[in-house]
Amino acid sequence: MLDSKIPAGPLSEKWTNYKTSQKLVNPANKRKLDIIVVGTGLAGASAAASLGALGFNVDIFCIQDSPRRAHSIAAQGGINAAKNYQNDGDSVERLFRDTIKGGDYRAREANVYRLAEVSGDIIDQCVAQGVPFARDYGGLLDNRSFGGAQVSRTFYARGQTGQQLLLGAYGALSREIERGTVRLHNRCEMEELVLMKDKDGKERARGIIVRNLVSGKLERYAAHAVVLATGGYGNVYFLSTNAMNSNGSAAWICHRKGAYFANPCYVQIHPTCIPVHGDYQSKLTLMSESLRNDGRIWVPKKKEDAEALRAGKLKANDIAEEDRDYYLERRYPAFGNLVPRDVASRAAKERCDAGYGVGSTGLAVFLDFNDAIKRLGKDVVEQKYGNLFQMYQKITDENPYETPMMIYPAVHYTMGGLWVDYELQTTIPGLFAAGEANFSDHGANRLGASALMQGLADGYFVLPYTLQNYLSDQITVGHIPTDTPEFDEAEQAVRQREQRLMDIHGTKTVDHFHKALGHIMWEYVGMSRNEESLTKAQTLIDELESEFWKDVKVPGDIETFNPEMEKALRLADYFELARLITADALHRKESCGGHFRTESQTEDGETKRDDEHFMYVAAWQYQGHNQPETLHKEELNYEHIKIATRNYKN
Amino acid sequence: MNNDRLIKISSITKKLLVALFASFLLIFLLFHMTANLFILAKDGGDAYSAFCHFMGTNIFVKVFEVILFGCLVLHLCLASYLWYQNRRNRPVGYKKPSRTKTGKGSKLMMITGSLLLVCLIFHFYDFYFVKLNFVEGTYMVKTEDFMVGDPNQEVSEEAQMVFMNLLNEGKASKDMQWIRQISTEERDVLQQAFPEAEFEPDFYHMARQKFSVWHIVLCYLLFFAIVGIHIRHGFQSAFQTFGLNHYKYSRLIEILGVVYTWVVILGFAVVPLGVFFGL
Amino acid sequence: MNFTLHIWRQENAQAKGRFETYKVSDISPECSFLEMLDILNEQLINDNIAHPVCFDNDCREGICGMCGLYINGRPHGNDDGITTCQLHMRKFNDGDEIWIEPWRAKAFPIIRDLVVDRSAFDKIIQAGGYVSVTTGGVPDANAILVPKRFADMAMDAAECIGCGACVAACKNASAMLFVGAKVAHLAMLPQGQVEAHERVKKMVCRMDELGFGSCTNTYACEAECPKQIKRQNIARLNREWIKQLFAGNHKK
Repeated sequence: MLDSKIPAGPLSEKWTNYKTSQKLVNPANKRKLDIIVVGTGLAGASAAASLGALGFNVDIFCIQDSPRRAHSIAAQGGINAAKNYQNDGDSVERLFRDTIKGGDYRAREANVYRLAEVSGDIIDQCVAQGVPFARDYGGLLDNRSFGGAQVSRTFYARGQTGQQLLLGAYGALSREIERGTVRLHNRCEMEELVLMKDKDGKERARGIIVRNLVSGKLERYAAHAVVLATGGYGNVYFLSTNAMNSNGSAAWICHRKGAYFANPCYVQIHPTCIPVHGDYQSKLTLMSESLRNDGRIWVPKKKEDAEALRAGKLKANDIAEEDRDYYLERRYPAFGNLVPRDVASRAAKERCDAGYGVGSTGLAVFLDFNDAIKRLGKDVVEQKYGNLFQMYQKITDENPYETPMMIYPAVHYTMGGLWVDYELQTTIPGLFAAGEANFSDHGANRLGASALMQGLADGYFVLPYTLQNYLSDQITVGHIPTDTPEFDEAEQAVRQREQRLMDIHGTKTVDHFHKALGHIMWEYVGMSRNEESLTKAQTLIDELESEFWKDVKVPGDIETFNPEMEKALRLADYFELARLITADALHRKESCGGHFRTESQTEDGETKRDDEHFMYVAAWQYQGHNQPETLHKEELNYEHIKIATRNYKN
Repeated sequence: MNNDRLIKISSITKKLLVALFASFLLIFLLFHMTANLFILAKDGGDAYSAFCHFMGTNIFVKVFEVILFGCLVLHLCLASYLWYQNRRNRPVGYKKPSRTKTGKGSKLMMITGSLLLVCLIFHFYDFYFVKLNFVEGTYMVKTEDFMVGDPNQEVSEEAQMVFMNLLNEGKASKDMQWIRQISTEERDVLQQAFPEAEFEPDFYHMARQKFSVWHIVLCYLLFFAIVGIHIRHGFQSAFQTFGLNHYKYSRLIEILGVVYTWVVILGFAVVPLGVFFGL
Repeated sequence: MNFTLHIWRQENAQAKGRFETYKVSDISPECSFLEMLDILNEQLINDNIAHPVCFDNDCREGICGMCGLYINGRPHGNDDGITTCQLHMRKFNDGDEIWIEPWRAKAFPIIRDLVVDRSAFDKIIQAGGYVSVTTGGVPDANAILVPKRFADMAMDAAECIGCGACVAACKNASAMLFVGAKVAHLAMLPQGQVEAHERVKKMVCRMDELGFGSCTNTYACEAECPKQIKRQNIARLNREWIKQLFAGNHKK
């Protein structure tokens, strides 16, 4: 049923084989083909730039005022690449294995291998663009290590790697805009996907309806293919490390139109975020995972110490060394503080639930740099993490050079997303998904510094090939008009949705509902889930959603600059998405990666997979509002890798 | 973009020119200051007069003078133009005045610059216009100029009187090379008698005379203070505009700017003060 | 904490704006400035007082460059090296009057309330703020050696988030620090050398065209830059400009 279109041949030759046998579009025909790219993050910007450079006609859309503001910019730590510049035994094979293992054996082998294969090219590309990666004194590139890996393969630009990579891609995009191959539409949000039937009766993605956020007017754009690079849906939890405007609506709109949604329950909780401090809080700030290279995570050994810390009677530095429990080093001697994110997050939650948490809420653990400062000196620590420390101090008003930082896990990344095949095409022909918006490469958990790698791999090195393969038979289609019944209908549907929200005239704000939804999701569909919590979540979400549709208040008018309307439209989709996440989590009666079912754990509280029953990608098909979705399974066949228990202990 | 539009002068080039013209003026200030210091020399003005004579007659100096004036006018025009342009880039201003921590220097450039222009006109009235014969002043002439007149021509009695008076009043320099402190009337009489004689402004005595009046001294001190404020910003600003500011030596430029400013202000100020207090 | 807010309200680009005064109370000192505005908006919606105040914001961790308010006479408020979203209410005194204005510059027209259109910055970058490489066919990353010192200086300049505080702070609404940061970033790297002359020429000309002012070396931009990008980058821009003036022109 689900054809993942994995090319034949040995794993290491699949991508080469694909490229040599794929269909191409000749240069003269390229300019006759229009492509829509939604999103200007790493995946979107790099795809649009590469496609524009190839000669296609590209329209690119972003909701912010500039492409450079996409949330890829906030990625701090780095980007992985199997360059083996450090001579520490890295290779494509090892990056591939680490990623598969990090993803708890729930990722598609062929995609991950391709990702590892092109990872080195990404670094080459970015350096050529002038990305100022950190350098050694000899002028060569420097690397750092990251969670889930035993080699140093992470390239970084201080604590702003995402920013620098995005600015690189933004530069490439800007160049194409200047050349006229790409047209930029800023402050535009995709509100509908337009499908059209071909002469052969096949329905294809042919355009989108966008809301011009400045005027509130709807605009139509047609193209031969649509690329979705709109990021993840972590904001369904309200509090997350995502930006305020990051949302899952574009993907969800496509899902409603028939694109399958895969593995929605795989949500990554990042272990090193600044803890929540009040109910007015609007977002959580991530502290780069790279901090775990030198920082040591601990909580007090004694409960009474923890209580005193919470009450403010003791300070972290008052706790004697022997009374500190470096629980990650204790539980995972081989990886220590560098265990993958899901493991570190759950361990923190476990300690806090057991009553050892610190901070005023008891929902925090210490990340201590005392040893690192002693060992390396304050200057070195400052050079490595200065901006992160400064950021922490700005937010918390505490000096991390003197007192340990306090951290707690927060929702960060969603491994789930639109189901795509090897070509990154969704189940709707002509609709492609890249970056975090698709589900492809990370399985049940993403390793640190791999999101940037995947976004750029998709945009620079995968889509420019696979899109051509798709477009090669589109050259005869000709220009696609926007004055068709399909566009009329799609636009009307959007207007109706907007009008419906406007007409409610309720009493509560959008944020009120969003916070409530976030609370349900975090409590019952968060770091650990079970049948009971998930069932409860389902009821609560249903209740909240019906209340939303009765009592939400959207001020202002439709055809104006109206951020409340934007938020309401997104939240309406989040309810459906939340329901699907819950359903997916409920159906997957195993623990794997970011999905932890308390019913399925080992004796010492680690995830316990059920490979016999759940070795598949769960791709869901939309069946209408509030209807149970249909499950399609893509079986994962590991031909190359030997499946093992994910073990970071030894 | 239309490439031809690149030809029009960019904002940076305009700034460069402003700085370039200013640099000439900055260098000139040093010259001017050094020359002024001769006024304080206890030689009855011999050195200063010799210098003034050189400055007034040397052809290169005259060319330089034109360049200098050009610099001044262009500096002034371009800077005003930029100021006018810049004001248009924020049609609606802020309600709250800026509380950004910055030096005041650049914000005062237009004000100090305008004040300087006014001061300069007065200064010219006092000294420079005498040279151009726009206004009357005190003059000096070389004694030898009286020797080369046409021997056949009778020297008028009036001229002889004036000449003798000058000598009697001790207005000849010690080496008898110059006769100085000649008033306009005296000059006119002598000039008629000795058409060949070249009278020059006697800046030394003019300065000594003016700087013995307290309110003129005060005005000049104020003038120098404004110059100080203007170049305090201008000096380092020129380096910045020339792209000569760098992490390695931005501190040095800053210090140089302060030193230069104080040297110039003090160098100028010491003359009127010195004269006034009889040094 | 309680505050009196004077906020610039303007319905759209054409409308005439005015200041409106609102009061907020019981604000936690730990609250960020934008969260305080969230609370205000919640209040405005719930009590039917007015349309919520529109202001740009996104990442809320000081990196996207989306937020930018002119608060009590300073872009990004009364603290150094931060964006508006990193400003916390503990920096204010209880009972303070806070004036909140949008960026003011001809090149940044107002969209609504405190939201301005900064696409002029994009246009400057489009003029040449990049290295023209197409995807693929580039040398190995380690084939290009960059002295660490240069890489660090390039990074210092590249940290610019394009928020526009420099323009907002500048009395001339000049974008020299923004342009200087990009030009300096690429000028420090071997990759940027090939197009160095063309880049600075095009970017500066575009900057002039878009209605940004010229630099009068006041350094208000440096004082307000949330990423503390230094004035030396403007000097480098000037230097690159001079080099370009004397560099060979490809046109005949």
